[in-house]
Amino acid sequence: MNKRRLFVLILSVVLAVPALAGCGNNKTTADENETVKTETSKTVSQAAESDKIKITFLNGFTGGDGEFMRKITDGFNASQSKYEVVESQEKDHLTQFKANGSDLVVIPGSSLYTYEEDGMVQELSSVYKEAGVAIDDFIPAAQDIVNMNDGLYAFPLDIHPLTMFYNKELVPEAPKTFEDLVDINTKLQAENTDIYVMAIPGSGLVEYYYMGLAAQNGIDIVNDGYCNFATDEFADTLMKWHDMIFVDKLSPANLGLDAEFTSFAKTADDITTQAAIALTGPWYYSAAKEIYGDNLGIASIPTIGEENATYGGSHTIAVSSQVTDEEKLAGIAAFFNYLYDPENLLNWADSGQTPVHQETLEIIKANPEKYPLPAANAEAVETAKTGPKVYNSNEQLSYISNNTFGRIVSEENLAREELMTELEKATEIARQIAQEQ
Amino acid sequence: MKKEKRFSILFFMPFMVCFILFWLIPFVYGCYMSVNKVSLTKGNVGFVGLSNYLALFNEASMYASEFIEALKNTVLFVIISVPLLVITAFILALIIDNLPDKLKGFFRTIYFMSYAVSVTAVSAIFLWLFNGNGGFINNIIAKPISWLESQPYAWIVLAIVTLWWTVGYNMILFINGLNSIDGALYEAASVDGANFLTRLRYITLPGLKNVMTYVTLMSIISSFNLYGQSSLITKGGPSQSTRSLIMVIYDTILQKNNLGVGSAMSIVMGIIVMAFALCQQYLAKEKKDLMEVNGSEKP
Repeated sequence: MNKRRLFVLILSVVLAVPALAGCGNNKTTADENETVKTETSKTVSQAAESDKIKITFLNGFTGGDGEFMRKITDGFNASQSKYEVVESQEKDHLTQFKANGSDLVVIPGSSLYTYEEDGMVQELSSVYKEAGVAIDDFIPAAQDIVNMNDGLYAFPLDIHPLTMFYNKELVPEAPKTFEDLVDINTKLQAENTDIYVMAIPGSGLVEYYYMGLAAQNGIDIVNDGYCNFATDEFADTLMKWHDMIFVDKLSPANLGLDAEFTSFAKTADDITTQAAIALTGPWYYSAAKEIYGDNLGIASIPTIGEENATYGGSHTIAVSSQVTDEEKLAGIAAFFNYLYDPENLLNWADSGQTPVHQETLEIIKANPEKYPLPAANAEAVETAKTGPKVYNSNEQLSYISNNTFGRIVSEENLAREELMTELEKATEIARQIAQEQ
Repeated sequence: MKKEKRFSILFFMPFMVCFILFWLIPFVYGCYMSVNKVSLTKGNVGFVGLSNYLALFNEASMYASEFIEALKNTVLFVIISVPLLVITAFILALIIDNLPDKLKGFFRTIYFMSYAVSVTAVSAIFLWLFNGNGGFINNIIAKPISWLESQPYAWIVLAIVTLWWTVGYNMILFINGLNSIDGALYEAASVDGANFLTRLRYITLPGLKNVMTYVTLMSIISSFNLYGQSSLITKGGPSQSTRSLIMVIYDTILQKNNLGVGSAMSIVMGIIVMAFALCQQYLAKEKKDLMEVNGSEKP
């Protein structure tokens, strides 16, 4: 073989190594999709064969919690012979609901106002009555989510607040205040400069961070139907997170998506920083438990602001405004009657979610070993604030979440005037979004 | 003759049906929606004329700032990625063309395999590689870099991802182009004492002109359609600096629930891509015309 061909061959082999780097088995994702589709098809075809009144139920529980909701719906179907709840678990279920509809749909609490304003969901006082469920059966924070325009527009299911996981090897006791965080950080940094008390992300769950601190500072950003961010109080809230990174040095700077958990999950070395606590979503519980086992602590987030509060998302179950058939509505009431029997709703607590039904919550609090995560969040949900009740609240918050907070965690010399310009721009966008109503 | 014509139409029909169903009807409906106020939840609220289009260029409108920013980001990505995609594919094709015949198929398959991987899997791989906190790349370089949280590194990552994922397709096109060049030309040039670079300049490149034009055009169009990589890897960050036009259109339709403005954005984006394509075609044609006027160039 001549020299040129040998050179080309060697070069081909060298270039082939990175080309082959990504080949692997993505069968799992395809298989999972196939399983969901098969299960959904199976459920639909079984329902088609029966004479029961079919009630379609659309939700986005495609993760680990999906099997627990399916257990509830299967239990309801088996418990009586008149109605069949046909459950579909879809990744983009709200788009499906907008396009194709569904009798029942899980709507995030922060979006419920938007769906009500658009006429997509119906008022449910009569369904509550028929189901034998009262709004007072739920914690006040949950009542606030579904109660709007003098009506009840959904049944509250759960609240998932910002939760604190902590590594008991590094943090024997859960920090409760900002000063606790500073003390812990000082001790950790003295031993190893790659270990911080926390990791503040630049994207991902950042809405929970700034809205949570706003809740602790008693700030209400809603003004005349839109979010007004351009206030000194809100700017101070954002700058608190900035100073925790650049002044108090409680977290590394310029961290990215989900860094609050990925840093918590790592072990510090020369190029990796580790966080001793993670302020993150409860959905990371399984992953955290797998890493830390008995060394995993769970608690409410510390009070960084003026008073104890937290912020979280929530799930509600609403009824489409297209459902007018009285028999179907009776079936829906029967389903809610079944769901809010604590014996059945505790299946949802098994998934790690914290149901907001008072009677169920009391059982959870009395059995913390059986329901560690819901029990740890039981007090937090009582004081949890959820998304602002404005039109398309997620979009109104998106400029702060996707633009401004990233600058907070990465620009050490971010000037107050620059921040206020950002907040004014975010407020103008929120105002225009509200006008789309 | 008439029978032949009717018979030939049968072969043409499947394409026409697909074209009408999947291009023409959506295009016409998109144009219709772009002059109406339409949402997924409220349906068609009414005719609004050109106001959806005007909103894209009205500084006071939130849609304008998002559209213009995303357009700048996308054009920047086109400028960064297209030369890389074309030149790298060409180099790989040259390498494979010069391999022994027995090895050509093997290496062609290896370089093409990444094209068959889904964007989700590709994104997961590169997220792991370029994680700013303890990622694989930071493990092997001297000083860790926040790849995904700062510029220009976020763009560099997206360019590398796109290159690794899609270069195989362009490479195959170049290989076919190289195979179509008459080998006798190379032999004659070698006899005349032409070296590799001379043969490349006077035989290979002119012979690949049409393929080069096509590959460049396709790369421009696909780079304008940047979505999967930026959505899954950088999520449009840092601070929306990698947010592409398709991401903005998606958010406008599905998050802001405004199909009218989203459709207008799609139409304007299509016009911009067409303009780029026409410019490129014009430049390629002009050079060809000049060559015809001046006669073939001397080696």
